[in-house]
Amino acid sequence: MTADLKNEVEVWLTEHWDPEAECELGKGEYDEKSWLKKVVDAGYAVPTWPEKWFGRGLSPKDARVIENAFQKHKAKGWGRDRFHLGAITIYKLGSDALKSELLYDLLTGPICCLLYSEPGAGSDLAGVRTRAVRDGDDFIINGQKVWTSNAVEAEYGMLLTRTDIDVPKHQGITFFIFPMKQEGVEVRPINQITGEDEFNEVFISDARVPARFIIGELNKGWFSFQTAIASERLIMGQGITSRLRGAAGKTPALLKLAHDHDKLNDPVLRQEIAQALAYRQLNTLNMLRAKEEVAKNGSSSLASLGKLAMSRIQHGEARISAKIIGPQVLINETEDSRNANFDAAKAYMNSIGGGTDQIQKNIIAERVLSLPKSTDVSRDIPFKDVKSS
Amino acid sequence: MTDFSEEDREAICDMFRRLLADQASEEKLREIIETPSGLDKALWQQMAELGLTGIMIPAELGGIGGSIEEVEALMEVAGASLYNGPFISTSVIAPILLSAATNTEFVSALLEDIASGEKIIAIAGCGRSGDWTKSPEVSAKQNGSEWILSGSACFVQHARNADAFLVATAQEGNVAVFYIPKNAPGLDIVEHDTDDKTLRLSTVDFDKAQGILLEGVGEEQFKSATQSAIVALAGEQAGATRQIFDLTIEYLNTRFQFGQPIGRFQALKHMAADLLIEVESASSSARHAARALASKAPNASMLAYLAKFTCADNFRKVSADAIQLHGGIAYTVEHPAHLYWRRAQTGQWLFGSSDRFRDLYLSEMETAP
Ligand SMILES: Cc1cc2nc3c(=O)[nH]c(=O)nc-3n(C[C@H](O)[C@H](O)[C@H](O)COP(=O)(O)OP(=O)(O)OC[C@H]3O[C@@H](n4cnc5c(N)ncnc54)[C@H](O)[C@@H]3O)c2cc1C
Repeated sequence: MTADLKNEVEVWLTEHWDPEAECELGKGEYDEKSWLKKVVDAGYAVPTWPEKWFGRGLSPKDARVIENAFQKHKAKGWGRDRFHLGAITIYKLGSDALKSELLYDLLTGPICCLLYSEPGAGSDLAGVRTRAVRDGDDFIINGQKVWTSNAVEAEYGMLLTRTDIDVPKHQGITFFIFPMKQEGVEVRPINQITGEDEFNEVFISDARVPARFIIGELNKGWFSFQTAIASERLIMGQGITSRLRGAAGKTPALLKLAHDHDKLNDPVLRQEIAQALAYRQLNTLNMLRAKEEVAKNGSSSLASLGKLAMSRIQHGEARISAKIIGPQVLINETEDSRNANFDAAKAYMNSIGGGTDQIQKNIIAERVLSLPKSTDVSRDIPFKDVKSS
Repeated sequence: MTDFSEEDREAICDMFRRLLADQASEEKLREIIETPSGLDKALWQQMAELGLTGIMIPAELGGIGGSIEEVEALMEVAGASLYNGPFISTSVIAPILLSAATNTEFVSALLEDIASGEKIIAIAGCGRSGDWTKSPEVSAKQNGSEWILSGSACFVQHARNADAFLVATAQEGNVAVFYIPKNAPGLDIVEHDTDDKTLRLSTVDFDKAQGILLEGVGEEQFKSATQSAIVALAGEQAGATRQIFDLTIEYLNTRFQFGQPIGRFQALKHMAADLLIEVESASSSARHAARALASKAPNASMLAYLAKFTCADNFRKVSADAIQLHGGIAYTVEHPAHLYWRRAQTGQWLFGSSDRFRDLYLSEMETAP
């Protein structure tokens, strides 16, 4: 089975993908839409989903066979059942009608942006103030989102809105899949400490979204949102945002760096490098155990540890990279220095984005360890009476 | 490679758990460590009857033919109640070394005695460094057909209760292992006053004592036995870590201050969440290392070293924070937290330090294909 599948994918890729030019064979240049359509039509984009929804009904293990072949050929479009948060959320929570209408579009387009955070609602996301007001078959949206990654290219966003201010905050939220390419949506990139500008401010004035694009139910958006955020944290726990994650079977980047800088004989650095690599390997082993537990019991509390663990890993590896390089790290004239400085800043994406480390610790303590919940003074009062800064 | 199914493994663990719950309560442990021998011989016999002392010994010789995976699982159970018998020495290291020897008749009889619980074997594996990956400080000289041992072995566990020793010796840079009965002339045991009362440590001096060579057992076999030993210890520490952590979480839920359970204070919640990562990492590293050793995976040594320093360090960290999280009650001798914390300190040095194994782990990475 596995061998057949591997063979099938290999043949398909050889016939369709040019690994040298990293584009569709014969096209000369990468055309995202056209290529993604091919991958989705072949059932390789979301192999763990049923055929009805563009998959192959494969086990996660067999799906890896496909992913590995794609990675080997440097082909894009694999693993969308693991990484395309918008599509995953619609697949899990959307009605059949909504899936029929949107899923193909989502899978063959860029990833959705996440329109959650606002200037006044960060960790306390249930405090969002962006309003959605019913108007015939549509809702009209007004408000401001911030830190929205990839909003420039996104065709759709997952949008958290306020639909009732007379009830406590968790009870008046509605979650939408929101078309980004329309009048009334203005995206302004923000310069980040990494030198990138992948996140943005998004100003929404009198933009429209059809009522049938509600994910879950009106005013019950907080529950559907939990599914989306859980998938996001799972992804972050696997460390895919980190440049240093390295590929299986390859020399770890930190080891290579130490070798290149002739530091593998320094006993103090050796300890630090070994411990950093150990933290990464331990997280991998924990996530392997999580997968085994999910396969056996349907769930695993281990999975919720990944994102927090990843913060220590990424900040630590960046710090040690700088130590390996030494004072030359102050001068951004070599690739190693630039990478180390970039990684040091980028590590905050993991420890702040998707819920800060502190919020992750609250969640682990309260949901995994069942310690008593902290009091939230804004929890049980009508949203309109909640104080903001 | 093991023939045990996951259910079989779970079943022997359950059996062992019930035995320890019955026979090795904290109260019992506190009694035992006050006795001259520090060992519950009756419990060892019961373990033998259940087949546990022969866990790694084939059925033909009276054992139950398990692998390091079963050992690791059992050690997690043992660690939870700070079990202090000579299991790693007698039932893990000794069978591995003996099974590798080519003087088959001699070792078969010994293996039978181990499986039946008749013989306890202690291992003299290191010198003053405490490091089993460094050259032993006992030397062996051949004199006609006899082998004469001289020198000292340090940090030997269970020496007083042993019927015999397996002694690692250095001969021109190579390791050779000898069997020597406890009452052999020229063998002297000096018992030490250990800070951790649950594990006795001795120095064993050899003054021209006569030993029996385990033929065919050298550097490689000794290394392999050491790797199983550190994974067994890692399992024990992973089990102990989880136990002291669970006790602590229970306390956070039941101890009230300022009119609420202390577990509601965020400072403590955040410590607990951080510790959970260490608890789970310990289990994951020990179990994966055992699996890799059992299947002779190419990265087995790397995973064994990872498990060694991870479980040792995480046990120490979790048990140390457990005292802080409990407050004054855990500063009392009556509270169990310090028993875990002291055992954790012992484990940081047994077979070699965490720093040593961290370094070896990196060396394995450097040479990985
Ligand atoms: C690189 C990056 C990409 C991002 N991408 C997106 C995106 O695509 N879409 C999106 O919607 N958002 C995105 N975010 C926003 C991110 O989710 C928020 O920044 C994060 O949830 C924290 O909110 P905040 O910045 O308002 O900080 P605040 O909530 O104001 O937190 C400030 C400090 O207070 C602490 N704190 C807050 N509440 C508690 C509490 N209950 N207990 C203990 N400590 C607490 C926090 O840990 C933090 O240290 C991104 C952020 C980053 C860094």
